[in-house]
Amino acid sequence: MTDTTQPEVTELTELTELIEVTEVIETTDSVDSTDSVESTESTEVTDETLSDGEAPKPAKVGAAGPRPSGRLAQLEQEGDVAADYLEGLLDIADLDGDIDMDVEGDRAMVSIVGEDLDLLVGKGGTVLDALQELTRLAITRETGDRSRMMLDIGGFRAARRDELTEIGTKAAKDAKAANEPVKLKPMTPFERKVVHDAVAAEGCASESEGEEPRRFVVVLPPASD
Amino acid sequence: MLEEALEHLVRGIVDNPDDVSVRARRGRDDRGRTLEVRVHPDDMGRVIGRSGRTATALRTVLSALSSGRPVRVDFLDQHER
Repeated sequence: MTDTTQPEVTELTELTELIEVTEVIETTDSVDSTDSVESTESTEVTDETLSDGEAPKPAKVGAAGPRPSGRLAQLEQEGDVAADYLEGLLDIADLDGDIDMDVEGDRAMVSIVGEDLDLLVGKGGTVLDALQELTRLAITRETGDRSRMMLDIGGFRAARRDELTEIGTKAAKDAKAANEPVKLKPMTPFERKVVHDAVAAEGCASESEGEEPRRFVVVLPPASD
Repeated sequence: MLEEALEHLVRGIVDNPDDVSVRARRGRDDRGRTLEVRVHPDDMGRVIGRSGRTATALRTVLSALSSGRPVRVDFLDQHER
């Protein structure tokens, strides 16, 4: 019984990957901080920070632009592999869903769109995360490169992102109005990253405090000088 | 359907997809069932993943597809009995 489902573990491993990403983003200039992790991981993290179109620093957003055109073809290929893999699964499971592919920033985005896909999202997105993990492996098998493909199912990630952006924006406004730090609920690294970005867009700074899995964002009021 | 889904998911991530086979076994107490996945020995690491991460992902998806009924997934080298 204990062996059949282990969503906590899935969540934790996903966290581990994203923690590194978030830490680097938060410390921006200290790539050294990831030196203690495995070398493959730090390569991935560095790549993530430098090329992610959603990185909080505007200078970095531009970095995703002037890529060689071969990169776009590569991301499109990632989408194709993902679509084949996921379509095969939908057919077998007799689930209706259309697959949309897109490239956002420096990342392939793949979405399964349709009704009754809650099954594939799971509680808190655990099944979605597992499918994303497997689909990335399928891509790696085909292309030989690690993939950062982002999978969404039934709009789950999109909705969560909107919600988190709203939370970040509101917290920044509150921090400004009260001129006091605002502490938010514990969140996953991915969630915190979305909040940090929303806070930055409001012109406030933010940092993360506490230990996983209770790590949370603190939004700082603007420096008063 | 579960066997087929598992086979598809595993075939897509290994270097030797033709060596993948899945066999279903009834659980002793008839409550759940066990799916045995056999893969090429070189692919064992791949289906299990670092810290069992890939195996966990496969189990999570299979549990979702079985709509609540417990499923056990065991990973074996294709030559194991």
